[in-house]
Amino acid sequence: MRRPPLLVAALGISAALLAVLPIGYLALRLVEGFDRAIAELLRFRTLELLGNTALLVVAVTVTALVLGFSQAWLTTRSNIRFAPLFGVLAALPLAIPSYVMALGYVSLFPGFSGFFGSWLVLTFSTSPYVFLAVTAAMVRTDTAAEEVARTLGYGRWQVLLKITWPQVRPAATASMLLVALYTLSEFGAIAILRYDTFTRAIYNAYRGSFDRTSAASLAVVLLLITLIVIWFERKYRGDFQANSMALTKRLRVDLAGYKPLATVWLSVAALVSIGIPLASLVVWSIQGASSVDIGLLVEALSSSVQLAVMAGVIIGIFGTAVALWGVRYRSRLGSLIEGISWATHAIPAIVVGLALVFFGANVTPWIYQTTLMLLIAYLILFLPNALAAIGVPIAQVSKNLVDVSRSLGTPANKTLYKVVLPIAFPGIIAGVGLAALTVLKELPATLLLRPTETNTLATRLWGATEELAYAQAAPYALLLVIIAGLPALALNAQARKALSEVRS
Amino acid sequence: MFKKVFASAVLVATAVGLAGCATDDSAISLTVYSGRSEALVQPLIDKFSQETGIEVEVRYAGSAELAAQLLEEGQNSPADVFFAQDAGALGAVGKAGLLQAMPQNILELVGSDYSAADGSWVGVSGRVRVLNYNPEKVTELPNSVFDLAGPSWKGRIGIAPTNASFQAFVTAMRVLEGDAKTTEWLAAMKTNAVIYEKNSAILEAVEQGQVDAGLINHYYWFARAKEVGSEAMSSKLAQFADGDAGNLVNSAGVGLLSDSSAGKEFVEYLLSKEAQEYFANETSEYPLISGVAVSSELTPLSEVPAPQIDLSDLDSLEETLALIRAAGLI
Repeated sequence: MRRPPLLVAALGISAALLAVLPIGYLALRLVEGFDRAIAELLRFRTLELLGNTALLVVAVTVTALVLGFSQAWLTTRSNIRFAPLFGVLAALPLAIPSYVMALGYVSLFPGFSGFFGSWLVLTFSTSPYVFLAVTAAMVRTDTAAEEVARTLGYGRWQVLLKITWPQVRPAATASMLLVALYTLSEFGAIAILRYDTFTRAIYNAYRGSFDRTSAASLAVVLLLITLIVIWFERKYRGDFQANSMALTKRLRVDLAGYKPLATVWLSVAALVSIGIPLASLVVWSIQGASSVDIGLLVEALSSSVQLAVMAGVIIGIFGTAVALWGVRYRSRLGSLIEGISWATHAIPAIVVGLALVFFGANVTPWIYQTTLMLLIAYLILFLPNALAAIGVPIAQVSKNLVDVSRSLGTPANKTLYKVVLPIAFPGIIAGVGLAALTVLKELPATLLLRPTETNTLATRLWGATEELAYAQAAPYALLLVIIAGLPALALNAQARKALSEVRS
Repeated sequence: MFKKVFASAVLVATAVGLAGCATDDSAISLTVYSGRSEALVQPLIDKFSQETGIEVEVRYAGSAELAAQLLEEGQNSPADVFFAQDAGALGAVGKAGLLQAMPQNILELVGSDYSAADGSWVGVSGRVRVLNYNPEKVTELPNSVFDLAGPSWKGRIGIAPTNASFQAFVTAMRVLEGDAKTTEWLAAMKTNAVIYEKNSAILEAVEQGQVDAGLINHYYWFARAKEVGSEAMSSKLAQFADGDAGNLVNSAGVGLLSDSSAGKEFVEYLLSKEAQEYFANETSEYPLISGVAVSSELTPLSEVPAPQIDLSDLDSLEETLALIRAAGLI
C-alpha cells in the first residue's frame, strides 16, 4: 500500500480532526448529564421521532432516486425533445433553499404541511443531487453493452436494471447518501411544514428549553442512524468503474409512444420544483420591491458571494485531498477519514455551530466570530457535498494512464499532480461549485458564527421572515436563488459536457 | 504545474483565512446580543450611539439561539448586553450565573413584577397572553383557557409549546391551579391542539382559517394589523374571564453580561421615556416605566384581567418543561 503525499495526508488529517470537533462536543455534553441523556432516550417520544424520521428519510431517498434517475436517463439516453432544457430544469432546484421552497408552497396552499409536504419539498430539493451524479456517470459510461444486450433480446426494463443500473450504481448510491443525510439534518423546511423529526426535536430542545443534554443525546442517536446509512451505502455502492472509452457516439432509445408521457413527467417535475416556488417568490418580490433597502441588499449579496467563494475553494482543496486518500490510496486510514467527514454531515447545523461556539469562545478566542471560524464550520458541514462530486472523477481516472505515466519513469507523486489531478480537475471544480452553492443557502451555523454585524442573503432572509414580512424577504430569496442558480447551471453543464463533445 | 496550483491555492486560502482574523478594536464600544428584531431595535441603537458616542455592535438572532450561544460561550462571551424577547431566555442565562447584578437604580424604574426576583435582569416592555380567534368559526368565546380542553375544541386550537411565552403561561397555570389540573389540560392539548413553532405562525394560521383559534401574545396581532390595516384582519383578540391563567402578563427584558458602564447606560436608555414611548408606539407593547402612555388601541395594563401573580414566581421553568414533555407536546 503506497503512502499518500505529505500535503494530501496533512490536509486529510486536519479535515478529520475538524470533523471530530462536533462529535467530541456531543460526548462532553453527554458526560455532563448522562442520567438525563438516558432518560431522554427512553422516552416514548424518542421512538415516535425515530419512526417519523425513518419514514421521511426512506420516502425522500427513494422518490428522489426515482425522479433524479428518470430525469437523467430521459435527458441523456432517450430521444426526448428539448433534452438540454429539461436537464437545466432538473438541476435548477438545487439553487432553491428548501426553506424557501417550503415557504413558497405554504404561502400559496395554507394547508400544505406534515409528512406529505415535507416529503414533497425535500424530494424536489434533493433530486438534483441524484440527477447530476447519475447524468455524469451515464455520460461517462459506454452504451455499447446496452446495445449488445438489446440485440440479444433484452427488453427495455431488463437493459435498464441489468446493464445501466450497475454502471451508474456507485454514483447513484453516493448521491442517495447525500439525499438521506440532507433529509436527516434538515430543519428549516421541516419546521415550516411542521413535521416532527429528530432534527426538529434537537432544535426544540435548544430553543424551547435550553436543554443541551437532551439535545446532545438526540444528536448522538442521529449520528448512529447516519453511521448505519453510511454503512449501507458502503455495502451496496459497488466499485467505481474507470472507463476511458466512454466518449463514443451513443444510440438514444426511441421512446416512441411514451414520448408525450415522458415529456409531461419532466414538465410536471419542473413545475412543482421550480415553477411554483419561483412564481410565489416573484409575486412577493413585486409586493416588496418598494420597501427594500438596495444598500443592504448589495452588502448582503457581496458577503454571501465572498463567503461562498472562499468556502468553496477551501472545501474543494480539502475534499480533493480526502478523496485522493480514500479512493486512490485505499488505505484504512484514508477511508476512516472519509467516513468521519461523512458522519458529521447529518449532525444538524445548530449542533456543529454550537460546538464551534464552545470551542471558539473558550479555546481559540482570537478567531471566534471571525470569517475564519465561519469557514471552518462550512468545511465541517459541507465537505461531504464536495466529496460526492470529487470522488467519482478521481476514481474514474483510468488506471492505464497512471500505469503508463509510472512506466515512463514519472514518480508516483508527480503522476498525481501531472496526470490524475488535471484529468479530475473539472470534477473538482464541480465539487467547489456544489460546496459554494450549499454555503450560499446555509443559515443556522451562519447565524451563530458570522462576525457580528456581517449579514448574508440568507441571514437577511431569515430576519425578514422572522418578522413575517414575506414581501421584504422575497427580494433576498429571489436574489439568493439567482446567485445560487449560476453554480447549479455550471454543474449541469459540467455533467453534460461530454455529451455535447461527442455530438458535435 | 498542478502541484503549484494546488499548493498556491492552499497558501491563498490560508492567507484569506488569516486576513479574516484581523479585527479592529475601537475605544468605547458595546456588544449587544439582540433576540429582538433589527427593524425594531436598530433605530433605537442608532439614536443611543448618536447621543452617547458609544459604538454599538449588535448581533441579531433568535432569543433562544442567542441564549444557547451565551451558555456555550460561558465567561468568555464577547457580549456585554443580552436583549431578549422573553423571560425564559434571560432566566436560562441567569441560572447559569452569567448575568451581572442589575444596579438598584435601574431595577427601581420598573415594577418588581416585571423583572427577575434576584435582580439579574430587568423588564423592558410588557405583553399580554390572549386568545386569537376567527369570529366566523368561534361564535361563543370560551370563558376560561380550561374550556379549550373540552371535546368540542378538537383540532381547532393552535399552540406553540416550544415558545417561552407559552411556557411561562403554563407555569402560571401550575402556580394558580396546581400541577394535577395543568397535566390534565396539557394532555387534552395533545389531542385538541395543532402545534406551531411560534406565535406568528399561529396568527397566520388563524388568519387563513387553518385553525379556529390560537394562544398568542397580543402584539403579534397589532404588528400584523399595522402592516395590512386592521380592517383587513380576519381574526380578533379576546381575553378569558378575570384572573384566568390564559391572561398572563409577561415581559421582554435585558440582562448585563459584563461590568461595562456603557452596558448600564444602554439599559438606562432602554428604560428612558423616549425608548419606552418607542416600544409603545412601534410594537404596541406595554411600557413598563411610569408616566408613559400605552398605545390608544390597547386596554391599559391595569384593566387587563390578568391573574394576580408575581413574574418572579414563574421561575420553575424546569418543572413546567417536564410536564409539557410528559404530555408529548415537545
